[in-house]
Amino acid sequence: MAEVKTKEFVPASRRAVDNPQLQAALKRAGGGFDSARMEAIEELGEERWQELRERARRIKEHTLENLDYYLELLYNRVTANGGQVHFAADAQEANEIISELALSRGAKTVTKSKSMVSEEMGLNHSLEALGIRSVETDLGEYIIQLAGETPFHIVGPAIHKTKEDVSELFADKIDRPGLVEIEDLAETAREVLRNDLLQADMGISGANFLVAETGTLVIVTNEGNGRFCTSSPRIHVALTGMEKVVPSLEDLAVFLRLLPRAATGQRLTSYVSMVSGPRAPMEEDGPEEFHLVIVNNGRSRLLQDEKLRGALSCIRCGACLNICPVYRKVGGHAYGWVYPGPIGAVIDPVLVGLDKAKDLPFASSLCGACREVCPVKINLPHMLLTLRSRLMEGDEEGGSKATLMDSAMGRGYRTLMSSPAMMSLARKVGRVTQVAVARKGWIRKIPLPPFDRWTRARDMRAIPKESFRDIWDKELSKENAQPSQKGRKGEKP
Amino acid sequence: MVQASLGKSSRALTEPYGPLDEDLDSIRERAAAAMERVQRERAELWERLGDTATKRGWNVCRAAGVEEGLEYVCNVASAAEAPRAVRSDQDVFDSMPVDAALGAQGVETAVMSQDGGSSRAELKNMAAMAGVGITGVDYAVAETGSVVVLPRAGVARLASLAPPVHIAIVRPHEVLATLDDLFLFRRLAYYEGDRNMGSYLNFITGPSRTADIEQKIVIGVHGPKEVHLVMLDEEKVG
Repeated sequence: MAEVKTKEFVPASRRAVDNPQLQAALKRAGGGFDSARMEAIEELGEERWQELRERARRIKEHTLENLDYYLELLYNRVTANGGQVHFAADAQEANEIISELALSRGAKTVTKSKSMVSEEMGLNHSLEALGIRSVETDLGEYIIQLAGETPFHIVGPAIHKTKEDVSELFADKIDRPGLVEIEDLAETAREVLRNDLLQADMGISGANFLVAETGTLVIVTNEGNGRFCTSSPRIHVALTGMEKVVPSLEDLAVFLRLLPRAATGQRLTSYVSMVSGPRAPMEEDGPEEFHLVIVNNGRSRLLQDEKLRGALSCIRCGACLNICPVYRKVGGHAYGWVYPGPIGAVIDPVLVGLDKAKDLPFASSLCGACREVCPVKINLPHMLLTLRSRLMEGDEEGGSKATLMDSAMGRGYRTLMSSPAMMSLARKVGRVTQVAVARKGWIRKIPLPPFDRWTRARDMRAIPKESFRDIWDKELSKENAQPSQKGRKGEKP
Repeated sequence: MVQASLGKSSRALTEPYGPLDEDLDSIRERAAAAMERVQRERAELWERLGDTATKRGWNVCRAAGVEEGLEYVCNVASAAEAPRAVRSDQDVFDSMPVDAALGAQGVETAVMSQDGGSSRAELKNMAAMAGVGITGVDYAVAETGSVVVLPRAGVARLASLAPPVHIAIVRPHEVLATLDDLFLFRRLAYYEGDRNMGSYLNFITGPSRTADIEQKIVIGVHGPKEVHLVMLDEEKVG
């Protein structure tokens, strides 16, 4: 499994915020995707977009409620089409299945198109440990592989790199110095990777959707490497999380309209490739073998969790990353595992263990923008709150994140808020003590720990001389003194 | 195996799901209605296909007849300075003799079919060496400006992928309105064809592209850099 660094979220975020080059890249990246998305939706029409989102949400909800049924149907149909289906309980099992396939077929070189599940598995390392070359062929993934990094963004793995960074990588790692323009860098990747794309023994792809009804794998791509990986090698292995199933071929139309628009603002990607099995005997090309590896790796925990299950509807468009004020500041690596941004803050803690990712559910201002842009209407803010509350209450797995101080303050707050007499007393005490720190109705700094944490990043309103409650009581007593003279506001005299 | 991996036992759906409960007669009926609509709107769809395809990055040639289409293909090949081309073995080439036309200007066109005695490895090599790949299409979708190719005997996957230039030839009867039409017809084909819809289906919507470096769109990474849609209107619908 890929290295889990989710515990490092706070220091990693701080480093990211202090890195001016990264901040410049983030500013450029998020905004670009997001304005393209909005333009594409505007062209389609807001009403139509909302109708598609709702249909998609319903299809996903239905499928997840019946996932066992649909996975069995998928299994039967893929098998009937001549493909082989493997179920992997976790990342290690998935790695073993692929290693076994590669070794038994004598594969020396494997070409990969983009797969986030393979990132969960740390697949490249697992294959390379066996002496098998595993080559990422998506341009962004290729850059990341050369740099020895993990993806920074679900859709654009290398958006944090400048062309100068890539130029330096190409000079150092593949001996292609002196490339300046982005076009030349892309052209060089084409040249360098072409031979592998044509000659590899095994191609590995991800999956955007799986159609249960016909046993069909759907991949949505732009570069063409995905077509090569699924067409040229003798063996095609597709890796997928078990949540990618949709029931019928006709459901696919809904998602093909949503995914490209939400991800990159495209009306449709350059390619949509649909694989329903190995090549037929008379075909001119295509793989002899088709394997579908369906990976669980913690997803059944999400599935059984009624409050978080909806996160399995995610179609990995990255729109919630692009809009998130936290992601746009700290970037993808700070999250410490495969999925960054609001969706990562929900699913990473469940997939790697909440005790290892206690800070992630707090990596949100709960502004709600992620929910607004999500093409399948996942209620991410609500899920983040659910995780926060579990962390505070503690659970059997992770124990509570709450310190003794947090718990004591929580209890104190509850007592205070549920007793009018206590509130009134606290107000009076506060009014007296704040004289030392309040200026013009604001408190800039509370010098008393632990309360000082509140004012570290914000100012606090001072308690006013007269509270709403005081005013209310005063007005009410005036009115009671002269009840029938004026009549109530809004009533005819 | 599925249940074991989920830790659950098999059960029926919580509620029936419309599309999966539909019988073949109903799919046939809907497909017939869709086909009737598509035929009725053909002229309009043909026009729309050209427009959306242009927006998606195709170079569109509206050819009134075979001669015009051939001339366009020859011009593309000579601009690409390609000594070799490959093509698929599809019926569109019966009426549009590209081999002869290209041959006349010194471009050698190989048919990517094992029928010609070539092995699969040789076919792959042909595609890798060709400067231009020419194919017909099985459908075109006006909504998205896409062509849809179903690889099979005579239709190699690499013909539209490996060469840097791809020319797709489309005729009016291949045009559908929407993605919904396409998937309805493919569903019908699946159930009518004894649950076999072929190993692969490929949507092609413009040239290969990437925005992986600084989000700048670059045309032509691994797939064709230049794509041409020859709209061959012998039926005179346009």
